[in-house]
Amino acid sequence: MADAQPVTEEELRRLSEFLYRRTGMIFTETKRYYVQRRITDRMEATGATSFASYFARLRSDAAGEVEQFINAFTVNETYFYREDHQLRCLTQDLLAERVERRPRDRAIRIWSVPCSTGEEPYSIALWLLENWAQVDAYDIEIVGSDIDTRALKAASEGVFGKRALMRLSPELIGRYFEELGDEQWRILDDIRGSVRFTAANLVETAETRPHGQFDVIFCRNVLIYFDDASRRVAAENLYENLAPGGFICLGHTESMSRISPLFEVRRFDDAIVYQRPRAAHG
Amino acid sequence: MPLIRKGGDAPAPTGGDEPAGKLRSTSPDERWAAARALSGRPEALASLTAALATEQDPRVREALLTGLARIGTPQGAAAIVPLIRSDDASLRTGAIDALRVMPAAALAGPLDSLLSDPETDVRILACDLARALPAPQATRLLCGLLAREPEANVCAAAADVLAECGEPDALPALAACAERFVQVPFLVFALRVAGDRIRAQTPVQDG
Amino acid sequence: MAEASSKRVLVVDDASLVRLYYRDALERAGYQVDEALNGLEALEKLHAAPADLLIVDVNMPQMDGFTFLKVLRRQALPVAAIPALVISTEAGAQDREAARQAGGNFYLVKPVSQETLVEYAAMFCGAAP
Ligand SMILES: C[S@@+](CC[C@H](N)C(=O)[O-])C[C@H]1O[C@@H](n2cnc3c(N)ncnc32)[C@H](O)[C@@H]1O
Repeated sequence: MADAQPVTEEELRRLSEFLYRRTGMIFTETKRYYVQRRITDRMEATGATSFASYFARLRSDAAGEVEQFINAFTVNETYFYREDHQLRCLTQDLLAERVERRPRDRAIRIWSVPCSTGEEPYSIALWLLENWAQVDAYDIEIVGSDIDTRALKAASEGVFGKRALMRLSPELIGRYFEELGDEQWRILDDIRGSVRFTAANLVETAETRPHGQFDVIFCRNVLIYFDDASRRVAAENLYENLAPGGFICLGHTESMSRISPLFEVRRFDDAIVYQRPRAAHG
Repeated sequence: MPLIRKGGDAPAPTGGDEPAGKLRSTSPDERWAAARALSGRPEALASLTAALATEQDPRVREALLTGLARIGTPQGAAAIVPLIRSDDASLRTGAIDALRVMPAAALAGPLDSLLSDPETDVRILACDLARALPAPQATRLLCGLLAREPEANVCAAAADVLAECGEPDALPALAACAERFVQVPFLVFALRVAGDRIRAQTPVQDG
Repeated sequence: MAEASSKRVLVVDDASLVRLYYRDALERAGYQVDEALNGLEALEKLHAAPADLLIVDVNMPQMDGFTFLKVLRRQALPVAAIPALVISTEAGAQDREAARQAGGNFYLVKPVSQETLVEYAAMFCGAAP
């Protein structure tokens, strides 16, 4: 039985280029050993006998290999306060811009799509309560959507294990969760009631459109898995679901530069986010 | 509790009737909505194509191009192909991006002729479209091109794709091309790198 | 050897071998090199870290080089003034004019040799230390 052959430097370059072109992700030299290990793992998992055959599989996305491959390099697990620099950006900059000249009675709408098992939209709710001085001045509507209805069911039950809460301080957990024992916590009903969960497929306009327009959309860690055609449609859907001047946050390994030219890039202290231009078009 | 309780109603969706007519609206928002409503519908091929010929708004253009690309047929591709000759760089970019998301089957026909188009820049863009093909097919098409192509920049575009997905039988074509262009250092470099990458991938024969 | 104090060049081109060729030349001449595959990624990169010189292709996915320069030049930020060398395959007079109007400082026609590239880099942002 031959060991999986080590991946050569040139092969690694081929693969890095492919991944960079598709996602914008860059493997730095320092990560080389780690990258090589992951590739070897995927080759073994798929029964590929050579890099060439594995790479062909990856390029054609046979059996969803792109998703598997990306998963081998990124954290696919969702948890509270994930990428909290974006949450900081939300309360430091994005909302301030969104409420400028807005009548007090117009609700702020935030969409977490995909929301998976709910950690992300609940995090937004907690973060706002904890960190946004104007939280009492506006009505805030938070919607969480996902294609996976089982995940949505779990999300609306609001019961989480230790790993999901690892980034929250004991004080926060004490304030917003009820301990069920057995290392399980349930988020308080007040918070649970403040997030509305709906099913939506990002590439089906008929499913996204009824959600209406949002001030801020969190669309993290999903577009990176889509093929070019689906990304294009998803981007157009998201564009429609944003109010003019509204913002969209992607996951930290994702770049709009591989997805769509519809949005403008904005740089804030804590994050780079994308914006639907305020002037309708042009 | 300032956070709204569930059950809050989302704003009603904005529907549009007779989208084909709305493609000529003076409002970009209406044209955008019409383009999206017709997206991917084979019967809308003619209206989307006509609208694209005059549309000036880059975002509406995007939606029109997506609409044609999603039709997914050679006819859809044929409606987009002429735009890669446009004088407007952003329209060329839009057209090539739209073609890139089309199924390989819809592109096979146009690709062959684009690779021998009289215009250099069209051939360069066509090389990049070949990237979407399975490796053996891309290798065959691009090696054919390398053998006859008089423009260094087109050969370089082919080398770029072969560096990603070229198969070992591309090596002689790369070498022959490098000989023809010894006086162009960049191309010699590009062909060499492409060759190195392909060679590194050849499975070793002996144990 | 690139040093911490050296000038930064952002190469914006969708062809990986072009980026590699430019990088190789510029790094050997002492510049720090960063890359972007299209205009949008270049804007993202510039927001994260400015550069002393841009080398910009024209035809690229998602955002072409001219659109990139136009968007960049109208930003109210210091990055808006970074000099840009447009290097493209199109040799027509109208392409030079389009590059100039978009905000390009100079236009070269591909393929460009490493020597020429380094010469122009030095001309636009000074020789690397
Ligand atoms: C990795 S999770 C991301 C969760 C969360 N946004 C985060 O970053 O932690 C990916 C989620 O995308 C959902 N998903 C996949 N395809 C989708 C689609 N077409 N429309 C909506 N959601 C989708 C999956 O069900 C899964 O819950």
